[in-house]
Amino acid sequence: MILNKLKEEMKNKPSGEYCPNYFRCKGYEKSRESDPSKIRADGIAALFTCPAPYIYKNDLIVGSIRPFYTVLSENEKKKVAEYMLKYPERNFFQGFDHFAPDYFTAVKLGIPGLIESINESVKNHKDDEKAVIFLQSMKTTLCALIKKFEAYADKANGLKGKDGYDDNRLSKIAENCIALTKSAPQSFEQGLQLVWMLHNCFVSEGRYAMALGRIDRYLYPLFEKDIKSGLIDEDYATQLISNAFLKICESRYNGADDVVNICIGGVDEEGNCSVNGLSYCVLHAVADVNMPGPNLSARITEDTPDDFLDGCLKVIGTGLGYPALMNDGVNRAALLRKGYEQKDVNDFCMVGCIENFITGKQPPWSDGRFDPICFLEDIIVNNGAAYLDGIGSMDEFMALYTQKLSKGAEDYVKRIHAMSYVPEPEKHTSPFLSCFCDCCIERGRDINCGGAKYPSVHGAVLMGIGTVSDCLSAIEKTVFIDKTVKLSEIAEAIKHNYEGFDGLRQTLKAAPKYGNNDEFADKYAVWYTSTLSDMFDRYKTLDGGAIYTAMAANISNIYAGRDLLATPDGRLAGRPLSDAASPTYGCDERGVTSTLLSVSKPDYTRCACGTVVNQKFSPSAFDDGRREKLLKLIRVYFARGGQEIQINSTSREVLQDAMENPDKYPTLVVRVSGFSAIYVTLAKEVQEDILSRTQQSL
Amino acid sequence: MTELNVSSIQRFSVGDGPGIRTTVFLKGCNLRCPWCHNPECVSPETQTLCYKNTDKKTVSGKTMTVDEIIEDVMEDVDFYRESGGGVTLSGGEPLLQSKGAKELSKGLKERGVTTLIDTAGCVPWENFGDVTDFADEYYFDIKTADEKLYKDVIKGDKALIFGNLKRLIELNKNVVVRIPLIPGFNMSEIDCENICEELNDIGVKRVDLLPFHRLGSSKYEALGLTYAYKDVLPPDKAAVGRIKEIYDKYFITNIE
Repeated sequence: MILNKLKEEMKNKPSGEYCPNYFRCKGYEKSRESDPSKIRADGIAALFTCPAPYIYKNDLIVGSIRPFYTVLSENEKKKVAEYMLKYPERNFFQGFDHFAPDYFTAVKLGIPGLIESINESVKNHKDDEKAVIFLQSMKTTLCALIKKFEAYADKANGLKGKDGYDDNRLSKIAENCIALTKSAPQSFEQGLQLVWMLHNCFVSEGRYAMALGRIDRYLYPLFEKDIKSGLIDEDYATQLISNAFLKICESRYNGADDVVNICIGGVDEEGNCSVNGLSYCVLHAVADVNMPGPNLSARITEDTPDDFLDGCLKVIGTGLGYPALMNDGVNRAALLRKGYEQKDVNDFCMVGCIENFITGKQPPWSDGRFDPICFLEDIIVNNGAAYLDGIGSMDEFMALYTQKLSKGAEDYVKRIHAMSYVPEPEKHTSPFLSCFCDCCIERGRDINCGGAKYPSVHGAVLMGIGTVSDCLSAIEKTVFIDKTVKLSEIAEAIKHNYEGFDGLRQTLKAAPKYGNNDEFADKYAVWYTSTLSDMFDRYKTLDGGAIYTAMAANISNIYAGRDLLATPDGRLAGRPLSDAASPTYGCDERGVTSTLLSVSKPDYTRCACGTVVNQKFSPSAFDDGRREKLLKLIRVYFARGGQEIQINSTSREVLQDAMENPDKYPTLVVRVSGFSAIYVTLAKEVQEDILSRTQQSL
Repeated sequence: MTELNVSSIQRFSVGDGPGIRTTVFLKGCNLRCPWCHNPECVSPETQTLCYKNTDKKTVSGKTMTVDEIIEDVMEDVDFYRESGGGVTLSGGEPLLQSKGAKELSKGLKERGVTTLIDTAGCVPWENFGDVTDFADEYYFDIKTADEKLYKDVIKGDKALIFGNLKRLIELNKNVVVRIPLIPGFNMSEIDCENICEELNDIGVKRVDLLPFHRLGSSKYEALGLTYAYKDVLPPDKAAVGRIKEIYDKYFITNIE
């Protein structure tokens, strides 16, 4: 199979070092322009035109990062650094990457069409010199892209007859590349080629986590046409897609792991379910690639066909863990609250891991970590016994905590404002990126300077909902209800990391925990979500956009925990916090249905950025007779207002890891009829039995 | 208020009947199958399981009123409705507590939730009579067709068990016979043929085969008991496949 051959080819690491900026600086060096955007455009043009194209023997869709590898002398390196200092890029907080380009318009108009739009806009702005100059710089980059396609076509033709290359495929590549210099894509293959090359361009600019977005929407008209005419079938389309997606993993050459979000499913402009034949091809292509990098998200609505959701579960069950399942109703409601137009909300996708994004209509996104647990710790650790034991009720305690959080949110936003401030925005423009964001061409403005239809947004990633809820539950239960513990005692125990306080620690651990469908603890998760969202709703980004909240810790819950003292839930110092929107590891003891009942209690229409709930199932849960139960589980969870679920099949690797590190998997359940067991309690040889069962079912 | 002696309540039990189910494991059993995977459900006495390789301790045995159990299992009602699931009573032998099982299945029926009874069937027919108006489905475990093996190894009464199965089928109840495939006990061709013929005569239509596994061994250890099947390996796929072919001749057969 061609994909496997391409995988083999890609194992060959390029020589030299990855330095696209070297080529960009050639443009800066030669530029005779004085306007910063125009100089920048000359740099980008050089970036697109100077590196020699690279075509893999098994490429169907071209566009590789290999051309950006080069051998540099120390002198050249110094020069590159100097130029990059002279023409600095924005950073993550200033709207640099994490963006979903408007591929819909790009595919509809093609590069020549986009250039045409720019020409139109120049006419409309004839009295606005600044706009005309910026439009001219945008055009410069697109013209360079045309040259890049021409160079790839030449390269393809030049490789004909060379060992290992297929002349027919090379002809097709050359034909597609040339066609894209002349008009909008006329076939699915050309559409995909255009999008993949654009993605390659953004990557070469140094942008990370650039989403491919709703590929089953913007390529669907071409797909449908070609399928109908018999030009392609689903298998070939899948092959083309996987051929492009596999090259996302090229970033490993330079020790990076790009996160390219791809979104399937969801609804059309009018809000009707938009799952189509291409959605399935994308799903299967990601499964075929079978490597992390193409980060697949599936938007699931009430009327998403069971067959599609089941297809997603099958792919998850291979051990890949993708796609992440997104509850469309909740996400759209959350975005609507932020004032976007309905049709734009319907077209949202995700960037990075899970972050909701209005496709091609707002500047690149940023986020930061907000640790509510620190403020709880602050109250307990930095006050004397008299003060602590003078707190008379849980309400009083919550009022204090809320006050601290409120101040914390204010400080956080100040910090974010400082970090996202760009003193001379006109020197930090993105003429190429702006071509792919709605309104930039029409307004003749940069994406970060009023060109984008909507202002920038920022996501405050709230850490440790499980840890905070468990702490508050433990404090309420032991200090204010049972009155068996004093707050000052908890403070002492925390300062000593519970050493010598084992009895107290057990008492605290015995209090109700989030994730067991127990109102006592769950009410704090509900409070946490709405209170913190209220707090951040008070603030705006510098250009007037929303500050979203998210619960998507990724692995930062581990780092956040490392710097923290012990906590009132009995957690020891340095241990991880609860992850994302999930309950604390091992504390959701009643089983997955209870966990999901708890986790769906908070109002996630407040978390416009998105949340993550991780759940692991043994591979047998994905068997043909069983998978439907998993599907129904998700349907109920979503109907109750859960926002997201990321399911992992406990692969052989995980089961093996759990044998070595039982602490990491306290609640990993293995199920057989009439029986289930906590995996880590099993004897080694029995764990081996399960491993061999797992192998059989794969 | 009727009470039940509960070992544990397990949610999202996907191997214990149709749809998403909550399984209520009742404590106490009158059989002594040496391969049993739920040793903590055999004695009616409360027991503590102390797992060796983690510091985990669990208690098996808790008296709960029917109302308490109903409140607990009804939390998952949305999952039952969406998936066609419900509650499974297992154990141990749930029909040793048939009065409580009756109240529980009756209460669930009133709330529109189905009950499946997972029984080994070695109880007086009256115990079945308690639940037949309320239970919706039965998993009926059959271990062998050999009267002597039933008596000597399992300490059960074959005539009583097969008689109960026959009456359930005559009453047109929804019954699936479940047969554990135990190496050295009931896996020879002749064992299988004998079981098949007898079940076929009674009118059994559906059979689930449950290949032996030793996942219960850590529970024996945690209870301080010796597990006779500790070193017995699970049957391989090919052997199970061959047995399925025999059963396929008689029944709609499924491997769990």
